Amino acid sequence: MRFGFKWSLLAVLLVVVLAACTNTSTTAPTATASSGVSQAPGAQGTASQTSSVTGATSGRPAGAGLINGPYPGEARNLNGAGATFPAVLYTKWFSDYAQLTGVQINYQSIGSGGGIKAISDRTVDFGASDAPLTDEQLKAVKGGQLLHIPTTLGGVAVTYNIPGVSKQLKFTPETLSGIFLGTITKWNDPKLVADNPDAGLPGNNIVVVHRSDGSGTTNIFTDYLSNVSSDWKSKVGVGTSVNWPVGLGEKGNEGVSAGVKQNPNSIGYVEVIYAIQNKLGVGLLKNKAGNFVQPSTETVSEAAAGVAQSIAPDLRASIVNAPGANAYPIAGLTYILIYQQQTDKAKAIALTRMLWWGIHDGQKYTTELGYSPLPQEIVSKVEDKILSVTVNGQQAFPGK
Amino acid sequence: MEGSDITVGSGGALTRDQDGIWQRRRLVDVFMTVLITVSALIGVAVLLAILAYVVINGAPALNLDFFTQRPLPYGEVGGGVAPAILGTLYMLFVAGLIGVPIGVGTGIYLSEYAGTRLAPAVRFTIDLIAGLPSIVIGVFVWALLVRHLVGHFSGLAGSVALAIVMVPIITRTVEEVLRLVPGSLREAALALGVPRWRTILRVVLPTARSGVTTGVVLAMARAGGETAPLLLTSLGNQFFNTNLLQPMAALPVQIYNYASSPFADWHTKAWGGALVLIATIGVLSLVTRLATRGQRPG
Repeated sequence: MRFGFKWSLLAVLLVVVLAACTNTSTTAPTATASSGVSQAPGAQGTASQTSSVTGATSGRPAGAGLINGPYPGEARNLNGAGATFPAVLYTKWFSDYAQLTGVQINYQSIGSGGGIKAISDRTVDFGASDAPLTDEQLKAVKGGQLLHIPTTLGGVAVTYNIPGVSKQLKFTPETLSGIFLGTITKWNDPKLVADNPDAGLPGNNIVVVHRSDGSGTTNIFTDYLSNVSSDWKSKVGVGTSVNWPVGLGEKGNEGVSAGVKQNPNSIGYVEVIYAIQNKLGVGLLKNKAGNFVQPSTETVSEAAAGVAQSIAPDLRASIVNAPGANAYPIAGLTYILIYQQQTDKAKAIALTRMLWWGIHDGQKYTTELGYSPLPQEIVSKVEDKILSVTVNGQQAFPGK
Repeated sequence: MEGSDITVGSGGALTRDQDGIWQRRRLVDVFMTVLITVSALIGVAVLLAILAYVVINGAPALNLDFFTQRPLPYGEVGGGVAPAILGTLYMLFVAGLIGVPIGVGTGIYLSEYAGTRLAPAVRFTIDLIAGLPSIVIGVFVWALLVRHLVGHFSGLAGSVALAIVMVPIITRTVEEVLRLVPGSLREAALALGVPRWRTILRVVLPTARSGVTTGVVLAMARAGGETAPLLLTSLGNQFFNTNLLQPMAALPVQIYNYASSPFADWHTKAWGGALVLIATIGVLSLVTRLATRGQRPG
């Protein structure tokens, strides 16, 4: 009995752990088992249909519907981290993909900067970024050739929260760069009032909210500002994190939208879906053609229309300030980053299958979540990239 | 109060001057008593306010799904934080397996072998670790385990980071409580021919067991609430995971992510998570108190 206290301590710990273990063993497998049962018959039906339809077009594997269930020998878990911009889409994708294939893809939205760092260090299976890697960043990666796999298109909304202003505000390149440079400091600045004469803009100071972490959204936004404002280009420049002349820093698209929501008279920039989900004001932007446009699936798609022809072979692209009549000017591709030479066969199979599913079946999720589907020409270029992934010198994608 | 009453009662012999001194002393006494009582009440009130605030905001989040389901995709209402609750308990257990033996062992060394030349150096080092911001521990484990030994984010890396947070707390508490054990007990055991290691194991430690347990629970509570070291090591996971070598969700990280999100449902879940975290730590310390109570010697 002299050791009683030790045993009781051990017992407490054991009870805690046993409780935790029984918790998982009861909840987790039943969840996957039930979804597996319900998915299998329907999924196989669509598979045979689509493969017979699309299989004839070319020598390459069919597109949508090809991935319809678990594949023997693929990894059951993948880990990815990076951009917050596509996180709404990715978490939806991976939740449904786990039900379809049983492969659990853990995605943590730590920002594009973090995603680039993590895949460069190989601490994750895939990274995610809205900013293509710069040439220097590509040289610094540890695991060989890094591929940019575009997954969707999105617009960066200029979002604001001004109590009492219900009319949708219009911004020109001059007013937007002025606000973020700190030269326009009040909402009733004559330049803003000129574009929005009957909005009833108050005389309050503008609270600028920007990203504090390395961010692809920032990269797209500053790329746009540098494109339209020589002042911005010379004073601040382009990057995943820049020296902001004014404003509060918040982490992630989540943080910026929360920051705008909580601060009256504020303005920030977020991926469109974050503004929509939070019912925040979204500004109309004057594009290159001189029209004020709303960020939407159509206007972002129009911005990307020209890119398919001109895109570089490595698929790194910028589509800000695009020329179309209704093209939304602050838009970008978002990428998943993977190594071309994979080392783990099971993971390589799971990774390429997930990407194949994402650029085909996954595209149907984009519009309802406020993103835009990839143009067809880009999809076929991405297919080539996925097929070029190798493991032990062989093609990693199993074709099914 | 009593003393001053007596003096005033025999006031006939006192001069006016002395009477004033007593009067002032009594006033100061009353003033200070009120001041101390008020500050004690404020301390308790702050704790109660935090508890009440967390309960009011967090209680609506608690339902069966909260404890059994994994998080839903961004912006969807519902789901739960079960992987995070499980991950926190799992990582705390593994951190305990690593940290408790090291912490208790170091505490014993510092108390029972205080005369050795190494002891001051060890004590200094432990103090330094205790003073390290926990994010620094996170960066250290990230550089060592995540980038090199394991090669990716994992629950194990998170556990090691939490263990490092726990060690100095356990060590300091164990050292202090072992010092409280009367030297005569040790001498009695040694005089009976009991070897030193047996004296420590069977006389000194059992005497101080409730203090040792308190130290362990304190360390667990502190580690259980840590966010910073886990951000860089265990990363997070929206799926259930019991594999230590895979990224693992943790409650504080989940609270951090949910609280900084723009979604109202996630804010409620963050409060719910905070409530669960407080309740878990409360239950843990209560159970350990009860388990050690009956065995207190003499």
